[in-house]
Amino acid sequence: MTRQSINPGRVDWSGENPGIYLKHNADDESYCLLSLFFRVALSPYGKGHAAIVLGAPDEAKGWPEASNFIMTDNQRMMRWIVDGWVTRMPTFVGRAGLQHMSWLNLDSVQRQPGDLKTDYREILRGSGVTLEMHWSNMGDPIPVEVTVENSATKAHEMYSVFLEAKSAAVTVNGTQLPGSVQSRQFFGRTMSTAFLAFSETWVTPVNLQG
Amino acid sequence: MPLSEPITPGVVDWTGENPGILLKNDDGSFSAMALFFRVAWSPVGQGQVLLLYASPNEAQGSAEAPNIILSDNDELSHYLLENFIGRLAAFRDAPAFQNLTHLVAQSVHSSGDPMSHRYSETVAGEGYTVELVWEQLEAPRALELMPNQVGSGIHTMYTVLVPAQQAQIIVNGKSLSGKLGTRVQADFETTTAFLYFSETWIIPPGGD
Repeated sequence: MTRQSINPGRVDWSGENPGIYLKHNADDESYCLLSLFFRVALSPYGKGHAAIVLGAPDEAKGWPEASNFIMTDNQRMMRWIVDGWVTRMPTFVGRAGLQHMSWLNLDSVQRQPGDLKTDYREILRGSGVTLEMHWSNMGDPIPVEVTVENSATKAHEMYSVFLEAKSAAVTVNGTQLPGSVQSRQFFGRTMSTAFLAFSETWVTPVNLQG
Repeated sequence: MPLSEPITPGVVDWTGENPGILLKNDDGSFSAMALFFRVAWSPVGQGQVLLLYASPNEAQGSAEAPNIILSDNDELSHYLLENFIGRLAAFRDAPAFQNLTHLVAQSVHSSGDPMSHRYSETVAGEGYTVELVWEQLEAPRALELMPNQVGSGIHTMYTVLVPAQQAQIIVNGKSLSGKLGTRVQADFETTTAFLYFSETWIIPPGGD
């Protein structure tokens, strides 16, 4: 394939999109916790921040019965991203918790970067919830450029810079949710299920635009 | 358009946002130049840096038209000056480059919407408030450029370009003089006012 300097596709959104996926045990088939953070710099619905936490991914319950919620300061943008991206990601497809998660208002976001090798935190507050996502023991940044065939949504091209984190934790109102980081295959490499993702851009190719 | 190999070979130099405004005199020379960096990852950490040549053709700026680098991460300022800005001919060759005053940024904030009408970055510190304003914004474009297509000459680079048809550099409430010009990037004619989001600079294998 020949590289085209100016991608003819439509830029959908761009920003940061790190995540933490945890399992109780390494040989479990399902994750016990799925979480994603969004810092969107550019989208048709403006800028914004959000975090999705599914502490009970397979339970059809929202907060506070289960730790299934989304916190955001731009609901319209995130409704669009959840419908167009998150629901298409293999890790999230068919998860009852995604359909039933509560939508909470987000009042503040605080980034606490360490030296980018040992420690990185995003702390979100709103609707009576304080959420802390904590990544640690990071690897080197890995630049990726992903075709439609290789992308998580199978409908977009994607550019990003990933840093795997060897350990990570999600804490809600002071209580750490159970589970631990595991390994997974990532574009032919064995990497962890916790990652930072900077400078991420999603593009819809011309032939897939509605 | 991405290649079929998902992981790009090479070493990430830095990644983040890198908008700028270059204003010109009637004779085509630069009257004012500004680059802003919001770095999400670099070997020296995150940070925000504003490079301003209000007097690009003078080795020494004035109080009203300073040549400054205003940052919340001084180590990052030096890293970018030595490894990146110093490779961009338009900035490196300007007399202002040799004698920049390093200042501490006490506040940095963006406002507006890059997919609407107006976007701005405001950086303040040590007696200066510098506002960069972009208006009449065009639709975003994703770019993938090779070393022979970028100013540094050594990097592979991904970015999202939002061109602007109007722009201002405002220093302590006063707009600097000059007009936007045109430039060509990857055979695409655009203006000298640009937003760049999700920009990643990669040193290819065997590169510098």
